[in-house]
Amino acid sequence: MNQLLELFWIFLKVNLLSTSGPASVGLLYHEVVGKLVTEGQFVQAVGLSSVLPGSDALQLAMYIGYGVAGIPGGFVALIASILPPTVIILGVTVVLHRLRREAWLSNFIEGLTPAISVLMLFVAWKIFQKGGSTGWEGWGIGVVSLIAMFMNAPARIVVIVAGLMGIFFLR
Amino acid sequence: MSETKASIWFRLLWMFLKVNILSPSGPASVGFLYEEAVGKVMSEERFVEAVGFSNVLPGSEALKLAMFVGFSAGGIPGVFAALLGAILPPTVLMLIVAALLQRFQHEDWLTGFVAGMSPAVAALIVVVAWELFRAGSRRKIDRRVALIALLSAIAFWFEFPSPLVLLGAGILGVILFGKRGFK
Repeated sequence: MNQLLELFWIFLKVNLLSTSGPASVGLLYHEVVGKLVTEGQFVQAVGLSSVLPGSDALQLAMYIGYGVAGIPGGFVALIASILPPTVIILGVTVVLHRLRREAWLSNFIEGLTPAISVLMLFVAWKIFQKGGSTGWEGWGIGVVSLIAMFMNAPARIVVIVAGLMGIFFLR
Repeated sequence: MSETKASIWFRLLWMFLKVNILSPSGPASVGFLYEEAVGKVMSEERFVEAVGFSNVLPGSEALKLAMFVGFSAGGIPGVFAALLGAILPPTVLMLIVAALLQRFQHEDWLTGFVAGMSPAVAALIVVVAWELFRAGSRRKIDRRVALIALLSAIAFWFEFPSPLVLLGAGILGVILFGKRGFK
């Protein structure tokens, strides 16, 4: 029961502080890795949710919830993730036209964005390091994936190919 | 409105089921959704407005976009139809995959797969961070943005709790960007 409450609180917090699915990865990493899931599980979750169709943030949440507390954990993570945006949208549609003129809100978001980007760089580095494959094979896969994605290769193909490379070179 | 209300809700549900089965991620779904929704259930203007708001408010942007579209097409019940359509496909898929994977957790090939995936996942996060950074500051990356980035880098380096750092960065944004006034 405590675990479920903890999951609920974590996903509520993460979804209140990040403006988009992909941006939540950095924050989520800090909140769950080492406490509720292992590094390996987290990488699996991020990889899988970018491979499967549908909102990746929700899948990430559910996978982590499931890993921690089974089916109930998955649902708790899901509900905590959809609650903040739902309540906010229902509220905002009512005061939509007023909010548009609120400069402080967009300033807040503009300040938030560079910090989120920096956080994600830290997380990327940790995931790379603790993935264990920091030999030339790991760097090779990382650099090639980075180039491929900057040239607009679909992320899910890149992640699958990298995983397959891992089966051959990294065991 | 020529259609009955119930048929609009059904259409919304179906539309979001389709979009969420076909697109791999939140941001990718915007393109699909545009084709499905604009001109049929809402105007181009309202769609652009919905995209703008989903980027600013907290929470998963794909969901917020879905709910905005649902709201303009079918009011509050439309919001829930859209929400249901958007969360059903990932929920079902993820539960199946998660259940399967737990079973294979200690297989050798899966360890290799995850080890190979780690550098690619790290690279993916770097790419998303870069895109966020570029999209977040619509103007040129000026000193204020660099200052916030630098300060948060220092804070993360010394392992400050990340929610506090993010809150601080947002507040700093209100202070720093507030001075330039309305634009």
